[in-house]
Amino acid sequence: MSDHSRFEKRVLPHLDAAYNLARWLTRDAHDAEDVVQDACVRALKYEASLHGGDGRAWLLTIVRHAFYDWCERNRPAEIVRDDGAAIDAAVDIASPGPEEAALRNDASQRLADALARLPPGFRQVVILREMEELSYKDIARVVDIPIGTVMSRLARARNLLQRSPLLRAIAGRAAGGET
Amino acid sequence: MNCQQALPLIAAYVDGEVDRLQRLSIEKHLRACADCAAERESLLSLRARIRAEVPYFTAPPALRKRLETILEVTPAVPAPKPRPSGNRWRWLSAGALTGCMATVLAWFVGTALVDWRANDDLAAEAVASHVRATLGNHLVEIASSDQHTVKPWLSARLDYSPPVRDLANEGFALVGGRLDSLDRRPVAVLVYRYRQHTIDVFVRPLSASRLPLRAVRGFNVAQATGADMDWIAVSDVSADVLSSFVNRLAAVAAVP
Repeated sequence: MSDHSRFEKRVLPHLDAAYNLARWLTRDAHDAEDVVQDACVRALKYEASLHGGDGRAWLLTIVRHAFYDWCERNRPAEIVRDDGAAIDAAVDIASPGPEEAALRNDASQRLADALARLPPGFRQVVILREMEELSYKDIARVVDIPIGTVMSRLARARNLLQRSPLLRAIAGRAAGGET
Repeated sequence: MNCQQALPLIAAYVDGEVDRLQRLSIEKHLRACADCAAERESLLSLRARIRAEVPYFTAPPALRKRLETILEVTPAVPAPKPRPSGNRWRWLSAGALTGCMATVLAWFVGTALVDWRANDDLAAEAVASHVRATLGNHLVEIASSDQHTVKPWLSARLDYSPPVRDLANEGFALVGGRLDSLDRRPVAVLVYRYRQHTIDVFVRPLSASRLPLRAVRGFNVAQATGADMDWIAVSDVSADVLSSFVNRLAAVAAVP
């Protein structure tokens, strides 16, 4: 059982990171649990492929693969949307309808919403950088894209988050001091 | 460094991805240029807001617990053990008879060991797939208490046709079925509900291997034969209830 204890020591400590990524990718608590569970079963199977290296980046890579497989089965439409052009569309999606705006007044809810509305390819880069504080190199490995693409996705995603009508509305409100 | 050179580097600078020389010249430029300094502030404030306002979801304790259970029931891949090398010279001096006897003995012990290992793995495998199915919401792929619905669904996906019987009148209600794999072969699983417990019954064409009635990690495993099928039940119900249930199921299935 030495394989298991090694697994427990090197992988289970990163369970929160795995769950957080899965939760932000699926945007659903229940689905995130399914994805993480699938990822951990795979991680156990391929434990031998974790030689030295960072257990967290390794597990996050598996979570990402598990998510895309899950997506293929459950939400094939999202994979189609996951390209560069999709982020331009996300600008429009991010503007709230009047009902939604009334329902979601909380400022932090709005930033979380804007993040949740980014296409998954951009969303995961932001999460890996800003929440997990992974280096560009590790993000490139986890997401399986060149470092240059990591930088351009990060730039576009950040730009979108800063310019999101949701956030601008708050900035305007804060400046006006009126709800 | 001017703005044109600095701007594309500001994000990398904020992310700590520039080397020391670049860092120094960017910082020099930022002190002089209000626009680029504002860009840096905007990136830093976005980061601060993400960290302060966007929830970091931690794994629910129930998930952690489930994973630990899966970890326990999944058999570890055994590391190959070095075989002790025999001393050839002693073999020769001990004579041919001893050699023959040892060979025969080794063969007996060896085959018994292999049988025992195989059955042990089969029970562990059945328990592992029961646990995975229970925890992963894949318990039932065809949900029906009607044996005439479950049976054709399974038959259409297998190279054999498992008999399906509902024993609701005896307290064991058929919930549905799913496909799983056992011993590297696709297998039919019938799912029953008994009080608060779930019982998985793996039904496969009769095979030679008999499972000893035993518990794996708190789950009981029981086996019966009937209707030319091998019936393996896995559940957390008590061993005697499980055993009598699977024997009854196999007996009922044998009646056309």
